[in-house]
Amino acid sequence: MSITPNLSKKQNAVAFLFLSPWILGFVFLTLGPLMGSLYLSFTDYDLFTAPEWAGTKNYAKLLGGDPRYIQSLKVTFGYVLFSVPLKLGFALFIALILNRGLRGLGIYRSVFYLPSLLGGSVAVAIMWRQIFSYDGIINHFLWNYLGYDAPSWITNPDYALGTLVLLAAWQFGAPMVIFLAGLKQIPQDMYDAAAIDGARPVQQFFYVTIPLLTPIIFFNFVMQTIGAFQAFTPSYIISDGSGGPADSTLFYTLYLYEQAFTDFQMGYASAIAWVLVAIIAAATSISFLSAKYWVHYGDEN
Amino acid sequence: MTTNHTRRGFLKQGSGAIGGFALTVVAGGAMAQGKTKVRFSGYVESEEQLGTTLKVLEAYMAKNPNVEIIPEFSNFRSFTDKLATEAAGGNAPDMFSVNVDLLAEYAARGVLEPLTNWIPDPLDVSSYQAGSIFACTYNDQLYAIPNDAIAPAILYSPKKFEELGVAVPPEMFTWEELHETAVSLSRAHGRGFWGMEDGGGNYVPCDIFLRAKGSSMFTPEHTLGFSAEDMATWFQYWADMREAGGCPPADVAAQAGDNSASLGIVRGRSAMLIQMTDSYVGIGALMEDPLDLHMLPNGHAGGEMKNHIYDYAGNSTGIWSKAADKDLCVDIIRFMHFDPDGVDLYYEGSGMIPASTAGLDKFGAQGNREEKKLVAYLAKLREDPAPSRRPGVGGLGGMFRRANQAVAFGDATPLAAAEAFIAEAEEKLLALKS
Repeated sequence: MSITPNLSKKQNAVAFLFLSPWILGFVFLTLGPLMGSLYLSFTDYDLFTAPEWAGTKNYAKLLGGDPRYIQSLKVTFGYVLFSVPLKLGFALFIALILNRGLRGLGIYRSVFYLPSLLGGSVAVAIMWRQIFSYDGIINHFLWNYLGYDAPSWITNPDYALGTLVLLAAWQFGAPMVIFLAGLKQIPQDMYDAAAIDGARPVQQFFYVTIPLLTPIIFFNFVMQTIGAFQAFTPSYIISDGSGGPADSTLFYTLYLYEQAFTDFQMGYASAIAWVLVAIIAAATSISFLSAKYWVHYGDEN
Repeated sequence: MTTNHTRRGFLKQGSGAIGGFALTVVAGGAMAQGKTKVRFSGYVESEEQLGTTLKVLEAYMAKNPNVEIIPEFSNFRSFTDKLATEAAGGNAPDMFSVNVDLLAEYAARGVLEPLTNWIPDPLDVSSYQAGSIFACTYNDQLYAIPNDAIAPAILYSPKKFEELGVAVPPEMFTWEELHETAVSLSRAHGRGFWGMEDGGGNYVPCDIFLRAKGSSMFTPEHTLGFSAEDMATWFQYWADMREAGGCPPADVAAQAGDNSASLGIVRGRSAMLIQMTDSYVGIGALMEDPLDLHMLPNGHAGGEMKNHIYDYAGNSTGIWSKAADKDLCVDIIRFMHFDPDGVDLYYEGSGMIPASTAGLDKFGAQGNREEKKLVAYLAKLREDPAPSRRPGVGGLGGMFRRANQAVAFGDATPLAAAEAFIAEAEEKLLALKS
């Protein structure tokens, strides 16, 4: 059936009509502030008086080695590097267990998904603080049963970031639900054929499940990486907004926030934000470039 | 009945509705149901202070039924971040709390209205203690009215001292004696308890420490009043205290944060804490054991013993330079700070002590047990008054805490931490003057 040009135009118009709320929202609510922040990144702006053009001064300051900016980069990259694989690995592990045809699967799925909804919240960050503090439940157990006088995990620079990585891993619900949907798409025939060929469960996992799940793994990986770069709440709440102790949880976005609203350097903070955009774009591009080597789509030759 | 809807008719009615809505929103900004609205934003140090603040504002509205005050109170950090954003967006509250270190920032950048036109009538500050007025002054103009008089003090648990058999130091004592007292308490108790909280990240006691050595944190000309070597002795003092077990290790100390409920003294992990007096009632309310006040050390071993502790206005109330009805804002301040009915409601049971000498006398005579203790402490400081506190720069607390933590976690030597702090503070002072 061929589509006449008039019909095609009409269909396009309808499509744009339905898209218009998003387009209007983007143009009037997002694009303006986006361009505004790009402009501010080239200015000296203290929030209270009019911005003054400063050229590339803010970017030069970033590249010139602001020590706390470099620390925030280290903390954020460390967080992304550890939290994303840990969260995805755990999500896949739970999804595999749930995919074995448990009774009451819906309940388990909801229960495991719950931390994802709560994890970014202030209440859970505060709870985390209580669990891992010097006189928290973990240390009570270690002292009373093992006689070990443990440090305050949440406020020791050697472990503080680790507790935030654990908090991130605990919020495995969203990727788990997506993995579960992906696992259900894999035809049983594949496993049957592999079993006839003598493949054991572990071999089936590595040679059937993983290759067929790579598009889902890729999707989850990209989404979680972007989210991890933007993480803010856990550090803000757990460190009382300071990124402490000794800047060990100074996330990139927290430093940006501090520069903008505590130090009144909105121009510099805008430059920091745009560099984050570039970092996320680069990380996503690398992920997409690497995809052709390890992501397998069913409709490909 | 059927009605024909034409596109033109729909647009007419729609634009009429949108126009009406817009008018309501615009008018609602200043007047709603015949009432003048005033947004009053600020930070409070305790639940008690929040309660009395809301009570006095309600009393004002009861006396002035045509006024509606919209209270927007929170803790210090949330408040300052929010205020900066609102001011940038041209939507700052009509009147708001001003912290002593942020007053210069707000005044220099035109956020605050000078109160010159309303002094002395109706805002007569002639009976206010000089330090409080100095804390609210920038370029010889008064920009805010002091909410209360505060001073640094050692909050301590007399019961812990008694239980552990350690004597409370005399009123005038040295920093070295404080060290010995803290270490004795820790040793007498054993695991999981320290004589005092780490005070190395608090810049006010550092100022008192430096003054006993002949320097200070800031000069009256708003410059730094110390050298890196001077400040290094402060960080070294706390490093020695940590090493000897008089205060907790860095990770446990860092746990206290900004939350009173997580303080070591509240959780039974320590017997002493250096804190400002406006937190005395709030922290005491969280504890089962009674809490008392003690002076900070006033000298060093072998040196002169002299009072270096001052009281000042830590928190004050100012008016946004673009507030629609500044006279009304002034009248609300007048009611809270100068009207006898308002003063009673605002201060009684709040843990705040008025900055005026008359207010101090009144609460010393009629206040409850805690208020009388606070007044007695402040009165003692005024017997031989120390030069007043000099305003610093915004973000001072965070910068100072980071420097102390850098030493505590072994990331920097006391001298390197002091140098890093000086570099950061000087950059801020420079930005303020440019």
